Amino acid sequence: MRRRALRGCSILPAEALARFLSGHWGEPVSIAGLKRFHGGSARQTYRFDATGASGRREALVLRRDPPSSLIETDRWREYRAIQGFAGSAVPVPEPLFCDAGPGSFESPGFLMREVAGGQAAGLLDPQAYGEHGAAVGQQFFTALGHIHAADPASAGLAAPAGHPALARLAHWQAAFAADQFRPEPVLDAAMAWLAANPPPPPPRISIVHGDYRSGNFLHDGAGRLLAILDWEMVHAGDAHEDLAWACDPLWSHFSGLAGGMLPLAAAVAAWEAASGLALNPQAWAWWRIMAQVQGLVIWISAAREIIDGRSHDPVLMFAGTIPYRFHSLTLARALEGL
Amino acid sequence: MSLPLPVLINAVATALAGEVAPALQQLGQPAAPDANYAGGTAATAAMILMLAAAQAAHGPAREDAAIAAARPLLGDAAASRDARHAALGAALATGDRAALALLIAEAEAAYLALGLPAPVPVD
Repeated sequence: MRRRALRGCSILPAEALARFLSGHWGEPVSIAGLKRFHGGSARQTYRFDATGASGRREALVLRRDPPSSLIETDRWREYRAIQGFAGSAVPVPEPLFCDAGPGSFESPGFLMREVAGGQAAGLLDPQAYGEHGAAVGQQFFTALGHIHAADPASAGLAAPAGHPALARLAHWQAAFAADQFRPEPVLDAAMAWLAANPPPPPPRISIVHGDYRSGNFLHDGAGRLLAILDWEMVHAGDAHEDLAWACDPLWSHFSGLAGGMLPLAAAVAAWEAASGLALNPQAWAWWRIMAQVQGLVIWISAAREIIDGRSHDPVLMFAGTIPYRFHSLTLARALEGL
Repeated sequence: MSLPLPVLINAVATALAGEVAPALQQLGQPAAPDANYAGGTAATAAMILMLAAAQAAHGPAREDAAIAAARPLLGDAAASRDARHAALGAALATGDRAALALLIAEAEAAYLALGLPAPVPVD
């Protein structure tokens, strides 16, 4: 992963969107209601209303890289994954157009139709789903099972070379090596344990969303799951990876429920029924440690961005403080049992 | 502070999210794409400021406690965070449970300082 350059002003002008859509629709288009969503520091997300001269009107969402970004991304991979599940049992926003270059949106990005009425949970919200937690959770873990039942080739995802668990460990070890800025003995010890105790290979390679958790989907506030979001880390691998990440206590809203929605047994049952896979206890134990390791590396990388002055985004400051301390504690405690 | 830190943080974040974005719009930027973003950013920034204030108030005492707890095991290496953690890491690599206990205690104290609910296992 290459470093990002210091970002300057990176606001997307409405004129740029109007110019692109006018060409795309073949008629003059005006833009209204343009607003950028807060959060999601790796991508910029905007929503806006586009109205053509003919009266055609669409509410759209654009996800794009920051214009000055040097981070290596594969916009097509994310877009193809969303495309692959459009119209399936896995609810996703309707994908409309992708440009992997800077021509359309001044940096690589893609357009989706806005999911009307959707809301996403905040990390610290103690009542993220209210009385609808069980209903949303059932859909959430069922959708995860459907993702894992799909063929990675359908999304253009190549199987990892070698053992999928060790491939992910190597991925996060490399990220940690690049971003570490002070001793992290708990993380070192956990990585050593993971390397020495690999889980059994999965019975099949699955599409792994990569960031499947509470907060990365939209629901309607009345018990209906509307769309799974944030596919930027999608890859092929072991389905336990997603399940362990989704069930990590960080995303439980301090409830003890998987994703803050369902008892763990019910979540696993929903996932097993939809995926056709069975939870492997040995793999589960490994991936639960791995989830915390992955988290810690992400939070350390976020902090490094701030420390090095490449970003002043408070979201990264937040990540480098609260989730960092959370996973530092839970992982240290987990080491006691290994 | 008479209110728990999370309550204060929530109050500040809510106030900023409700006030900052509309204020930007009233200042002549009704179509500014980052008006909404500014509200969220300000809210998160306020939370960070609160954490920073708590850190400034309680961090030194926490560090002193960590040094005192680690000194019997590590001697002078306990005196700074990085040296202490490097030494604890070396001990942990040999299976030293006392080193792990010290690291857990430090992690617990650091998390407790956030004023958030304790992590709840999902099992």
